[in-house]
Amino acid sequence: MTAQRFRRLATLIAVALLVCMPLLSDDLYLQNLLIMTFLLAIGASGWNIMGGYAGYISLGNSAFLGLGAYTTGILAVRAGLSPFVGCLVGGLVSALAAALLSLVTRRTRGMYFVIVTFATLQLLGVAAATWTGLTGGSQGLALPLPTWDLSYQNWPFYYPMLALLAVTVAVSAWVRRGKLGLGLFAIQDDEDKAAGLGLRTALYKMIAFVLGGAFLGVAGGLYAYYVSFLNVAAVFDIVTSVLIVLAVLLGGRGTLWGPVLGAFIVAPVSNLTSTGLGGADSGAVRLLLFGGLLGAVAIFLPRGVLPVLQSWFRTMVARRSVGTMTDDGAETAGGSSNLPDRGSLADRAELTDVLAVRGVGKSFGGLRAVDNVDLDLTAGRVTGLIGPNGSGKTTLFNIIDGTVPTREGRITLRGRGIERAGRPTRAHLGLARTYQLPRLFANLTVIENIVVPERKFAFGRLWTKRVSPAERQRALAILDDLELAAHADGSPADLSYGQRKLVELAQVFWLDPVLVLLDEPAAGISPALSERLAGLVRSLRRRGVAVLLVEHDLAFIASLCEQVYVMSRGAVIAHGSVAEISAEQVVVDAYLGDSVVPIPAEGHA
Amino acid sequence: MIALVQTLVFGVLIGGVYALMATGLTLTFGVMKIVNMAQGAFLIVSTYLCYTLWDQFGIDPIVAAFIVMAPMAALGLVIYKVVIERLQRIDPGLTIVATFALALVAEALLALAWGPNQKTATPEYFNQAIHLGQLVVPRGQFYACVLAVVITVVLQVAVKRTWLGRSITAAAENPEGARLIGVEPARVGAWIFAIATGSTAFGGAALSFLYQFTPDTQDVWLGLTLSVVIVGGLGSIPGAFAAGVLLGVAEALTTTYVSVRWATAVPALLILVVLTIRPQGLFARTTRQDAAS
Repeated sequence: MTAQRFRRLATLIAVALLVCMPLLSDDLYLQNLLIMTFLLAIGASGWNIMGGYAGYISLGNSAFLGLGAYTTGILAVRAGLSPFVGCLVGGLVSALAAALLSLVTRRTRGMYFVIVTFATLQLLGVAAATWTGLTGGSQGLALPLPTWDLSYQNWPFYYPMLALLAVTVAVSAWVRRGKLGLGLFAIQDDEDKAAGLGLRTALYKMIAFVLGGAFLGVAGGLYAYYVSFLNVAAVFDIVTSVLIVLAVLLGGRGTLWGPVLGAFIVAPVSNLTSTGLGGADSGAVRLLLFGGLLGAVAIFLPRGVLPVLQSWFRTMVARRSVGTMTDDGAETAGGSSNLPDRGSLADRAELTDVLAVRGVGKSFGGLRAVDNVDLDLTAGRVTGLIGPNGSGKTTLFNIIDGTVPTREGRITLRGRGIERAGRPTRAHLGLARTYQLPRLFANLTVIENIVVPERKFAFGRLWTKRVSPAERQRALAILDDLELAAHADGSPADLSYGQRKLVELAQVFWLDPVLVLLDEPAAGISPALSERLAGLVRSLRRRGVAVLLVEHDLAFIASLCEQVYVMSRGAVIAHGSVAEISAEQVVVDAYLGDSVVPIPAEGHA
Repeated sequence: MIALVQTLVFGVLIGGVYALMATGLTLTFGVMKIVNMAQGAFLIVSTYLCYTLWDQFGIDPIVAAFIVMAPMAALGLVIYKVVIERLQRIDPGLTIVATFALALVAEALLALAWGPNQKTATPEYFNQAIHLGQLVVPRGQFYACVLAVVITVVLQVAVKRTWLGRSITAAAENPEGARLIGVEPARVGAWIFAIATGSTAFGGAALSFLYQFTPDTQDVWLGLTLSVVIVGGLGSIPGAFAAGVLLGVAEALTTTYVSVRWATAVPALLILVVLTIRPQGLFARTTRQDAAS
């Protein structure tokens, strides 16, 4: 509480100081320095939405500055449009460019993004230099000079830039506290998993990138009017991108105020070196300084200044107030099941086909991983999938949930062909899965992990709170059932392996699925936890969910499954009840071995 | 017609050189999944070293490459140990940032040491040409292309046939499995990185007499080598060769039929186009990826 109050006070004082500064001092150098700092802070805060929240690093963000600046400049020179209006168009152009770039990166991940942004900056630089009719090329582009009275000094630049910074930070804060931020941090941790939980990750990333680009574009337009002369080498300079990245890393990537703080450190240094250094080597020295600084920050201070300060502050406070902690997780709701029960639906959905797989296959190079597989899953029934390691079970899972694309065969989920659908679409239709090793989002708390899944994309929902009070209540009830309520606001890293498996199952429940794929749920956990897992699977069955279960523990399979498929070398070699397949010679040869013990039939309940 | 054939000849010759320049990146990016944004800087450092050996001692740049190889490999080893290994564990994104920072530092140091002016090595063959009928084959480009073929073939054989090569592939595809059979991925990584930076000596040597160079061209070469690797598909040396030739021909065609200035945009354009339509590269095949999950 004190930390929060302290932060609010500090922010308030800083804002008040910045607002009053031009009134208190008529120092033009200081005004200039602050305008450039605001520009960098806008760039850094915008970059942070994509780079800090979603984890997608861009080296091309100076392209947005350039696009905004040139759009404003060209409109002012050719059409006589006021730069204060033109800069808004500039922001729009930058936003469009960002959206277009997001399309390019739709099918690629992580490290490709940096290459795309780098290449785009190079391309735009060449285009601007070559397209001389529009941009003036290497001659440069001179904007009309401001017409207002000199006594206003730089106020008409100062206040719009400060206001734009305030808006950028406010939007960044809004993103961070909302579903959009939740999704972006989930993407940073595990994008595939996020897509599998129904997040339209491509859209999330596009929105994040567009926001960052748009604000920098508008700022670029203001900047163009401010410097009143544009040349390609200066505007599309990759060093500007480097300064932006440096400011964010130095201040603290992924934090709200870190990028602003970083900009207030980096911009004055940059300004000092560009005015203080002279001679032929000044450019090289500047490059050495910023390159060296960027490298040093990445190596020695990868978290940034703000997070380091925060953890110091926290340890100090913690030392003072040991033992005053209250127990939030004390209220327990008894043993009754709080998992949202839809018993009525189970009756309705009884024995309807949920998933039909026909002739599905997949080869990796010469390896036939899955070969002409047919598979049917019915609502309210648990189906086992067994087979030796490497027989194609997980690949089949990956084909069904869309992780691995294939051109062979058809997959129908609730009557709809999904073999071409993306993972979010499949999740929206009600497909959920768990992984052999549980995959939780490390950047999110346990309760946030649970509420990540979504059954449909709604733009308005992105801006609502990460966890609404209603969602919190529901998620706490689920956690209570799993006896994990005490960990609700902790990190998933503090959970045991088995507990993480339970939380992953809770994510599955949250999606309210019609089909669940469970990849070795009982592997590596204690018998007690295994029994609880079996109970959760049964409750899924009661709710009319079709379950496909990969498991090596045959007793576990026998106690849960109505039917079993056996795979060997990519193909289904047998299919039937547990008793039926145990009797088949091919199954015994391929998987069970000679010493198989007949499984008691009463294990079926 | 003869102009077209001539353009294609230029394209193929220069394409081989592009493949040579990108071999280091093919190994680090393609095999180790490390985006080394300092590839262009390593190349241009090698170029300056080869140029200096030629300028001061009259050593032919191609011969100089064999001398420069050793210090470059050592440099790569040090950088791997000090920077990459550490950052790759925390966050691969930081590796990208740090290597780019390294590139800026290298560019600055080169500018301080050699000045910002254009330089080029001028061994006697640099402006001579072989005439085949109406076709002109510049000797410099021809030698550079032969060097490129030899070096890439040697590297390809090394990766496919030697123990180290197989360890590299193993460690890249399945680090845990590699560790189980006694291949330590970190140590293999250091080796790959050293080989990758060492091999820039040859690309740099070719660059030194084919182009006029300045320290600030490092990001142009970075863009070009990234383009070769992305078009060719990660980790594939033959793919890189095909991509280099494709890029060379595309640039030569653009230069002849559009304009020299737009030719510089070709690598960046190819990156964007290929990543949009076929992210795995034009010459790559898909492999099983679920083992890691």
